[in-house]
Amino acid sequence: MRWSGRVRYVFLLPAVIWVLAFTVFPLGYSLTLAFFKIESKMEVQREKVPVLDEDGNQVFTSTGRPRTRTIVHREQTTISTFVGSENFERLARDKQVWTAVRVTITFVLVAVPLQLLLGFALALLFNRHIFGRPVLRATMILPIFVTPIAAGYSFFTIFYEEGGPLGFLGIPFLSHPDWALISVILVDVWQWTPFCFLVFLAALQWVPDELYEAAVVDGATGWQVIREVLLPVLQPTIIIVLLLRLAEALKFFDIPFAMTGGGPGVATQSYSFLAFRTGMRFFDLGYASAMSYGLLVVVMVVVILCFKRLRESYA
Amino acid sequence: MHSFKDDTSGLSTSIFSLIAICVALAFLFPIYWSFSQSLRNPLDTFTVAGFGIPWVNFEPTLENWADQLASPESRRALVNSTVVAVGAALLALVLGTPAAYALARFQFTWPKNKDITVWFLSQRVLPPVATLIPFYLVMRSLGLLDTQLALILINATFVLPFVVVILRQTFLDLPIELEEAAMVDGGSHATAFFSVALPLAAPSIAATGLIIFAFSWNEFLFAITLSSRDAITVPVHMAGAVDTRGVQFWFMGVRAMIAMIPPVLVALIAQRYIVRGLTLGAVKG
Repeated sequence: MRWSGRVRYVFLLPAVIWVLAFTVFPLGYSLTLAFFKIESKMEVQREKVPVLDEDGNQVFTSTGRPRTRTIVHREQTTISTFVGSENFERLARDKQVWTAVRVTITFVLVAVPLQLLLGFALALLFNRHIFGRPVLRATMILPIFVTPIAAGYSFFTIFYEEGGPLGFLGIPFLSHPDWALISVILVDVWQWTPFCFLVFLAALQWVPDELYEAAVVDGATGWQVIREVLLPVLQPTIIIVLLLRLAEALKFFDIPFAMTGGGPGVATQSYSFLAFRTGMRFFDLGYASAMSYGLLVVVMVVVILCFKRLRESYA
Repeated sequence: MHSFKDDTSGLSTSIFSLIAICVALAFLFPIYWSFSQSLRNPLDTFTVAGFGIPWVNFEPTLENWADQLASPESRRALVNSTVVAVGAALLALVLGTPAAYALARFQFTWPKNKDITVWFLSQRVLPPVATLIPFYLVMRSLGLLDTQLALILINATFVLPFVVVILRQTFLDLPIELEEAAMVDGGSHATAFFSVALPLAAPSIAATGLIIFAFSWNEFLFAITLSSRDAITVPVHMAGAVDTRGVQFWFMGVRAMIAMIPPVLVALIAQRYIVRGLTLGAVKG
């Protein structure tokens, strides 16, 4: 039985208002920006003012001229012009955008399934009777929490082609467009396979022993046990992990930023990366807003597709 | 493979243990590599053979560490990161814990508890780049660019949904009878919350605090957008290790270690709560 009473709003509302103010409001603002062309201009004016001493008298140079110093006035003016849906139309035409979409989709479609599969395989391995499991499990947690930027730079040194530890392989890890994307994917797989692994291992440990025993009595092989016993039981967990990884992978940014700078060329420039560059490096704020809205819509679609399942998980 | 759990015969256990150890070492390698690099003399960077084991493959030095820790810029980044991550974690806990309690204990009819929870959850999966530009413009007009405060506000916003969803589950798992008893004795809902529920939930709240500390510590997109000099955090400082004087691997090693040690330590402390935390309470760890 749950309680009622007005006091519940005192508990709940601060957080709701906070999210409305800091997430929903910016999203609305961003949607507005997407319909404008925003140009920022920096106006710089220099003004010479006389130098005064402590008593307020003018100071003169040795040649008798009044000493002056220059004050620089910087004024940033922003001009916004309503352009209707022009930013969105530009988005559809922009080749850079489509390249970034392709990079992002390739990344998501390769990295996420790899993480789930590897994570599942490792969970099966660790679910056996093995030595030192607590220590090994703890070791596997570490990558998840490594600062992504640090991971990116760390792998940058590992993939360094001349003198790096993998240099003997002669693979152009960072200089060839295809390999650069593979390298970025590898780093993400390194960081997030442990997450899938941990969650699946936890879920496996909740599978009652009777289920295995019943399957074994029925003469099921290892593969059949996985397919007919484990997968159905783990399905809700798999969907949660898939959703969380999809949502995260769609916004990947830090690792290419650190490792490849989006290159070579634009081979590893993800969609978030392009939106960041457009907005914060080229200050094309309206267009960048339209661009990030595109991503937002895709993520929302993924969330809504999984919404029913999610709602059940948090019942 | 005839059984998954009870196969304790010596040979297969040894083989699988060996595989598991190799896997764990492979996942550890990048962290180890940065550590090894941080101990190298600049001249040794590319000449070290094998696995770069200190004393075996090269003579380690602490000079890079001393250099980096002595630089005012590094220290400022460390202070900023600490202030931002602790500030954001505290702010999010203060706002989120009561909301989590409300969702676990009270009945909301419109919208329903479930829907409010999923609404919070959906904030967590939004792409941050969508709020980047409006946040930048708002902070610019408030004169808060390049301040710790701006980063505290944004990070608190990112981790708040996380706090609500996780702690809701924590409160649901507590027996409601204790709080009801406190109220029968004449206490209010506030008494039940502060003197009964909060102490019981304390370990979980602490673990949540540690995990969100790590999230804010690792945040990069907003940190590099909103800070330029005074408020740069450790990851932003790290990004500067490349473009200043070419690639300085030995500094990068130190900075990578400085960046990753706090969140990794925190993760180890909060180990028991990580599965529940990272799946936002959907899977019990």
